[in-house]
Formats: sequence, structure tokens, C-alpha cells
Amino acid sequence: MALVFDVLSNLLKKRATVLYPEERREEPGTFRGVLGFERNLCVGCGLCWRVCPASAIEASKDEKGARPLFRLEKCIYCYLCVEVCPRKAIKASSQRAPVVDDKSRLKVG
Amino acid sequence: MGLYLPVGPQHPIHPEATLIKLKVEGEYVVDADIDASFVHRGIEKALERKTYVQGLFLAERICGICNAAHTTCYSINIEGLAGIEVPKRAQWLRLIVEELARVSSHLLWLGLLAHSIGFESLFMLAFRDREAVLDLMEGITGGRVTTGYNVIGGVRRDIDAATAHKIKSSLAQLKERVLKYKRLLEEDPIVRARTVGVGYLSTSEAKELLAVGPVARASGVSYDVRVDDPYLVHEEVPFNPVVYDTCDAWGRAMVRVDEILESIGMVTHALDNAPSGEIRARVPPVFKPPPGENVARVEAPRGELLHYVRSDGTEKPYRYKVRTPTLANLAAVIAMLRSQGGKVVHIADVPVIFGSIDPCICCTARVLVVDEKGSARETFLDDLSARGRAR
Amino acid sequence: MISKLAQVFVYPGILYMVALAFFLEWLDRKLVARLQNRVGPHYAGPYGLLQPLADFVKLLTKESIVPSGADGLLFTLCPVTAFIVVATAASFVPMTSTRGLLSTEGDAVAVLALITIYLLLVYTAGAASQSRYSLVGAVRAAHMLLGFELPLMLSCLGVIASAGSFKLSEIAAQGVWRVFGLHALGFAIFLVAAEAELDRLPFDIPEAEQEIVSGWLVEYSSWRLALLRLTKDMELLLLSGLATTLFLGGPAGPAPPSAENLLYPLYFLAKTAFVVFLLSLIRASSARIRLDQFVVLCWRYLVPASFAYLALAVWVV
Repeated sequence: MALVFDVLSNLLKKRATVLYPEERREEPGTFRGVLGFERNLCVGCGLCWRVCPASAIEASKDEKGARPLFRLEKCIYCYLCVEVCPRKAIKASSQRAPVVDDKSRLKVG
Repeated sequence: MGLYLPVGPQHPIHPEATLIKLKVEGEYVVDADIDASFVHRGIEKALERKTYVQGLFLAERICGICNAAHTTCYSINIEGLAGIEVPKRAQWLRLIVEELARVSSHLLWLGLLAHSIGFESLFMLAFRDREAVLDLMEGITGGRVTTGYNVIGGVRRDIDAATAHKIKSSLAQLKERVLKYKRLLEEDPIVRARTVGVGYLSTSEAKELLAVGPVARASGVSYDVRVDDPYLVHEEVPFNPVVYDTCDAWGRAMVRVDEILESIGMVTHALDNAPSGEIRARVPPVFKPPPGENVARVEAPRGELLHYVRSDGTEKPYRYKVRTPTLANLAAVIAMLRSQGGKVVHIADVPVIFGSIDPCICCTARVLVVDEKGSARETFLDDLSARGRAR
Repeated sequence: MISKLAQVFVYPGILYMVALAFFLEWLDRKLVARLQNRVGPHYAGPYGLLQPLADFVKLLTKESIVPSGADGLLFTLCPVTAFIVVATAASFVPMTSTRGLLSTEGDAVAVLALITIYLLLVYTAGAASQSRYSLVGAVRAAHMLLGFELPLMLSCLGVIASAGSFKLSEIAAQGVWRVFGLHALGFAIFLVAAEAELDRLPFDIPEAEQEIVSGWLVEYSSWRLALLRLTKDMELLLLSGLATTLFLGGPAGPAPPSAENLLYPLYFLAKTAFVVFLLSLIRASSARIRLDQFVVLCWRYLVPASFAYLALAVWVV
């Protein structure tokens, strides 16, 4: 009962709901989001796949040598790999993970 | 003679799967028991398979809402075990994030209490106000719920002057709203009718059943780990532990709302007085601490949280044990649910009582085998799975 | 003959009442959402107007489950009978002119009696479901009957005494607003008793979602549940329509005689919407009271107040 006037005043205010996806709220830009990877900087040291807590990085090879393979569906976005990479080849970003129904689109770099 | 009424494991009042077995006669609850084993995930076993740095991120996910408390406790634990020195500024920043997480957790609890007494409007409004705190968390740490802020050796990101200013202005607005909710709890007749005198736990019972956190503090037991065993820079930040002596669900609600106000004051003070300097001590991603044991306690939003680690000199722990505050409060809540003596418990009181301890069952589920004769022993996962297959 | 059938089934009969019931449910949901700073129904139709219809149709497509221990005949009979009873009661309320679809001498009492029959059907539905939660909900519903029925009837009787007639169409034809002075007490008592009868916050004890998971209608699914929900919406229409007729002067209002058929339904709609606004405001600003506290509230405050109102209404007239 004590909330009556507070609740009545809500009728005059704008709604607090954000009608996603037509509207989006303002983001501070500091979110720990999807990883980026620059192949040219990577030297294949293997630190990232040794340190990942979720086993989301696989050791693999391509024509330039050893390189990591990221699995976004297992990644917990802890950014340990970003910190540990000696060449800063793994990039941070504030993008949210994409919503897809095809797992092959969840690879990075 | 009585009807067996199970509340759970699927029930609108439970945030996680819990089974409260009630025996009711008409509207009165005669007997109660709790089964909290539905969310067991084998975390302690998984922690034995990860290195110390990897284990931090697993410990963070023991519980979504208490994650700042778990990472703080884990970091302090391992730093104590390995003798790592944490810079001063890092401790102040840890305190800021821990108190902000306490504000967020208590606001969520306020919404859940409102939901359990059917006060949908307060539920919606509390969650709307909590959004401000979650946006602050995202600005500081990069995550709204799982913050990933504490690491072994310090914290990961610094708080600059612009962020500090935003935190203070946001918290000032939040304080006005929380003062309104406090007045609502004190004055609204229906809220008082549903919570005053409900879930009675006398002071002696609270001490005997080892209640912790706001459950104990609402029964007059002044036990707060920040005061009795300070772990971060709590001695340099002035605050008053909140104690009420009404021994009921209303007291617990008032304790938590007052703690929100105290935490807002602490964060504002810390932002103004934190020293400058390093925020992280360099720790290699894989390290081997000396063999030994260590115990760390923090005041999580729900009470006293305890972590124990035993190292045998390798890079993975030999044993890691987590004792969460809800586990300590479960015995108290079973005592509160029974109608005995002059105290009568209605079915309508059950969600209020169970919600007033702020249950976090996913924190709580651990394996403990209790013998019928009263002795207890711990068992191993392989042993249990062999028995399950034999059955 | 055809026009009589069209009157009964389309306008102002069943289809019109169902459409009004859906509209009032939409209004209630939208108002409560706005009061809580949310949006409410948004996507189904313009401003979410078709949301209640969409919910009804969706429920019809679900699987119909009858619990094995339930009394099969009663289980099905209760929702159907409840709908018929409430629709009949709503037909007495004048919605499009000063005379309802059905009208007879003493029909105000008939409406009140039909409301009581509906409440007994609520109890039977919960008992027929034979589930722990539904049994507790059914007992609670019967328990609540003891509390709010007397204030509901006495406040109506006060208006009947002051209007001097038991016939709803005569009361509506008088077109007198009875919300000021003495009658404000009666209006307030009626609103509180109506919230209790409609199983809405702060009195939704038989259906407490947080305690007994929907209580007496927990075992209902598919078309029976759709019919029960439609019955509840019709009840909202019935009680707010009754409030409009007794306290707000019915569908009457300033209108030239040629435009009566157009303007009277609109007046009725506006006044009923105002009553629903008041009910939604009460709902959005209260917590749920406990059963024993509710009975105490009724017998300590509401019943004496309603007796006082009836006595004063008779004496003043």
C-alpha cells in the first residue's frame, strides 16, 4: 500500500524495458567479448592452449607452422590467453558472441 | 496423519532445484526436511584436475551470484599458500568489487523476497534498480555477472577517474531508491504481516545450529568475518556490522537492506581513499607452491564462506574444499520450518522462510555421506559410481 | 427468430461479451505492466491487443491431460459449467442499453447467487483434480468464501436499498452516480471484495503461484484451461460491469435518443475500464496476504463496515 504513489508515478515515466533487438542499450565498451586472432603475429609457442581453463583452444598446424584453433562454443571469455600470448596475437574485443545455428561459423581467425 | 507436500524440485519459488519435504495438516506445517543434492556438479573433483590459475575460473563458476566472493576467497587462499604478496591498491580494488557484488546480490534477494510474498511490483522495481549495479560491474570488470576480476596476485583492470565518478553518481541514485525500499519494509502493513514473526530462530538456536551471515545477525548474534577476521583492507574502511534482534524474516530483510546502504558507503569511501600503485603481482601461469595447507574465510553476501586447499608440491592442488554459507544455514532453516511449541508455521510461510536465508543451492551441493549411526565419512567419485552401477 | 439468435450469440451476447472480456484482460495486463515500469503485451496485434486471444488459441493447441486419479466427469464438467454460469450472470448486466440481454424481477440477487455457484465450482474443480496442490488450493478457496461473500452482498444490498429496486435494469435506468459521500464506503468495500472474489492480488490465495503452484487449477491443461481462463476474464467483466451499474450509473449518460445505441456501449466501456484501472492499481501495489490474516481482515473490518453501510443507506433513504 505504501508503494501506491511510487507505482502511479511510473505511469508518467518512460518504460525501463529495452525492446531488443530493435533498440539496444548503451554499452560501456569494456565487455570481455569475442576473441580476435592475427595469424601473422603468432609463432606457435603453445602457451595459450596450455593455459586455457576450458580446453577451448586446440593445438593445430597450418602451412606456416603451429597455430591455435579456437572453439567459441567452449570459450568462457576469461582472457587468460590474451594475457599470456607473448606476441599479443590474440585480440580482445567487446563484441558479443554471435548467435548461429552452424558450429563451423564459431571459429576465430 | 498429515499430507506429504513436496515443494520442489521444480517449483516457481526455487531458483535452483531443491526439494523441501513438508508434512502438512490443513494449512499448518508439522514437519520438514530438505534435500539439496540436485545440483551437484563435481566441482571439488574438477578443481583437483586444474592448475591453480585455471582453477580460479572454475571456482568463479561455483555460483553465479556469489562469484566475487568465491574468487576473492580462492585468491587469498592460494596467495597465502604460495606466499605471494598482493599490492595495496589491488586490495582496495578487490574490496570495491566485493562490496558492489554484495549490493547486487542483496538487491536480487530483495526482489526474490518480494516475489515469494507475491509482491510482483517490488520484484520488478528491485530488478530494474539492480540493472544500474550490473552496468557498473560491466564498466569496471568487463562482465555483468561473472566478473573475472580477481586473479592470483591482484586484479586485472584498474578503475580510472571517469569510471570512479560514474560509480559514485550511480550509487547515489541507487541509495535514494534503497532508502525508499527500507521505508516500505518498515511501514507497508501487508509486507509486515507476511514477514514479522515468520521464521523464528531464537538467539540460542542460532548459536547452536551454527547459523552464519544475515541469518545469525538478525537473531542478535554479531558475527561478521569482516570484523572478526579482516581479510582485505577492512580495517581501514569504516563500517558498522548490522545486527537486529527480532529473530524473524523481517529482521533478515532489514539486515540485508541496511547492508546495502553500508556497502554503498564503503565503496564511496574506498574510491576516494584508495592509494595509487601497482594492481597486480606477476605470477607465472603455471607454478608449484610448496606443500602444505591453507584456509581462507570471507564474508560472502550470504555469510561466512570458507575455502581449504592442500598442496603436495605439484602444479595442481591435492584437495580443495569449499564450505558455503547456505550449507551452514540449512540446519537452521529446517528448525525454522517446523511448527513446535507455540510457534505455528503456515504453508504460506514456507517460501518466505526458505527465501529469508538467501539460499544458493548450487554453492551448497557437496558430497557427504552420513552414516545412520551418526558418524560421517567422505567418499570418492569412483566408489560412488561403482555403487550406482551395482544397483 | 434470427435476430433473437444473433442477439444471444453475437451482440450483445456471447461473442460481444467474450471480446469485452479479452479487452479487459488486455487492459489489466497493460496497466499493471505500465505501473511496474514495464511494457506488457506488445507484439500480438497493435499495442498487443490480440494477446489474450493469442493465449486462448495457443492453449487450444496443447495436449489435454487428465490426471489418472481425477474424477473424469467432474474434471471436465467444472470448467464448462463455470463458463455457462458466469456467462449467464454477465448477461444480466446492462452493457449496451439500460436493459441487459436478460432481465427479470430481482435479477440483482440472481447475479449474486450465480457468483456463489461459481465459487463452489472452483472448490469442486480443485477437489476433482485430486492433486496435493489442487486440494490445498480448493480448501483455501472454500475458506475464503467465508470471508468476502458477506461484504460483497451487503455492499450491493446497500445500493439496492438506496435505489429502491432489485432489478438491475431499473437501477441502470436511474443513471445515478453513487461514489460520493456515504456511497464511497460501499464502493470501496465492493472493490476489495471483488478483488478477493476474482482471485487477484492481494487476495490470490487459492492460486498462490509461489506457494502451491496455481492451486486449484494446476492440473488443468489445453481447452479446459482455456475455458477456465476465459471464465476468469468474464468474471472480471461481470464484477466491474456490476460495479459500473450499481455505483457509476450504468451505461447511461448524456446522449441524444437517436445515438443511444452507439454511445451507451461506449459509456459502459469507459466506466468499466475505470473500475479495472482501480482494481489494477490495487493489484500492482500490494503483496499477498495470508489466509488466516485475510479472514481476520474480513471479519474484523469489512463485515462491520458493510453492515454500517447498509444501515446508513437504508436510513438515509
